[in-house]
Amino acid sequence: MDSAVSGGIGWVVAVNLIIWTGIFLYLLRLNGRIREMEKKS
Amino acid sequence: MWRDASTWAAEALAVFAKEWRCEFRTRYALNTLALFAFTTLVVVSVSLGPIGVSLSQGTAVLPVLLWVILLFSAAAGLPRAFVQEEETQTAIALRLAATPSALFCGKLLYCLTLTAALELLVTPVYLAMTNLNVKSPGLLVAVLAAGGYGLAAGSTLVAAIIAQARSKGTLFSVLAFPVLLPLILIAVELTRGAVAGDPGGVALPQLLLYDAVVTIAGLMLFPAVWNP
Amino acid sequence: MKRALAWLLWLWMAAVIAGAFLYAPLAKGFIGQSSRILFFHVPMAWVSFVAFIAAGIWSARFLFLGRRPEHDRAAAAAVELGLLFGVLATVTGALWARVMWGAYWNWDPRQTSIVVALLFYGAYLALRSSLEDRDQRARLSAAYAVLGLAVAPFLFFVMPRIMFSLHPQSVINAQGKVEMESRMVQVLLAGSAGATALFFWIHNLQCRLTALSDRKSALEE
Repeated sequence: MDSAVSGGIGWVVAVNLIIWTGIFLYLLRLNGRIREMEKKS
Repeated sequence: MWRDASTWAAEALAVFAKEWRCEFRTRYALNTLALFAFTTLVVVSVSLGPIGVSLSQGTAVLPVLLWVILLFSAAAGLPRAFVQEEETQTAIALRLAATPSALFCGKLLYCLTLTAALELLVTPVYLAMTNLNVKSPGLLVAVLAAGGYGLAAGSTLVAAIIAQARSKGTLFSVLAFPVLLPLILIAVELTRGAVAGDPGGVALPQLLLYDAVVTIAGLMLFPAVWNP
Repeated sequence: MKRALAWLLWLWMAAVIAGAFLYAPLAKGFIGQSSRILFFHVPMAWVSFVAFIAAGIWSARFLFLGRRPEHDRAAAAAVELGLLFGVLATVTGALWARVMWGAYWNWDPRQTSIVVALLFYGAYLALRSSLEDRDQRARLSAAYAVLGLAVAPFLFFVMPRIMFSLHPQSVINAQGKVEMESRMVQVLLAGSAGATALFFWIHNLQCRLTALSDRKSALEE
């Protein structure tokens, strides 16, 4: 929160977007793996 | 149809009578309730000290302690209604003999009378020990009745749910408290109002609504809980 | 088709995050940038609420509409996710409370409601873990979830109204007027919608995983 106050709001947005994208890609990969397992069984 | 209704009522009353007959043989639940309630009462009274609390503190804190005593006493004494059946293996016979809804009502009646006895025992002693002056005694009686009903009804259903699980003692508290907390919080607010002399008790309808909801939920869910 | 939806969701949430920091104004009466946490806290609290209701509905479906195992799996997954989002909502709420009112915890009615909801989730999961027989576990935990659903209105609506609140006025107050600036409302609603979609996606993944492992253990028996 301090970095945001001192004017680094761009950094906060960037960090948030990176974390968000990471979570998202992980979920997509999980989706793919589950679909493979479903096809196998 | 009326004959069905009267046999159903007869079944429920039979269950109720059986509960009390068993209870009087051992007096286990009554003893547990009474012992727990009085011990907690003494602890509360002693820790408040001989000087007592000021009027404003009293209005804020003492209603809470009363309901804490009632809640924990109920948790100590009421679950036995179903746990005992499973432990003594009479549950199987009961499943064959009784209609689920009649059984639920019988057990509910039993828990209600236990809770009523608890409240009748605890409240006057509590008021005397804490020197609490209640300005709207009518409202207090109403809150105790409605709140006590909710306590008993919620506890009966949860007791039925946990009776078939392991570690029943702790599991009952864990499951029952979230269900009963809204009831307790509303009841405490109303009790504060009764102590302070609030004439209306504007939240009382909500308490009654809670009672209705829990009763209906119990009637609907009990057959699924009881029979596989 | 599903992949396209997923990327759309990503785009949506990225827009929400950007909007939360760059587009929406700061709320009046809040210190510095702290009101930004609202855009994370509110969607998560909303999702926790959705999870509670969803678990109750799936449990009711299970009990009264055929005892199908996929409904039981769906209810359990909803509770687990509800717990996760609920904890996140509580933590973000506590952080905000610290900044605004100097204390992490005040037991104001909304904080109380979320804690009781967390207790419900914990109790449900404790019940499930104490029952080994699959049918019994599904049946009894479903009954408890429906009981929770029945009591939920008192938890979320009645109690907060009865008790005095430090919590800021909710978006729609008693007269039905919108109190917050429209930009904030837009980002909040968009964030809540995105978070809900995210919840159902993760929930779907969880259900499929559990179905696979159930099938596997059934084969092994």
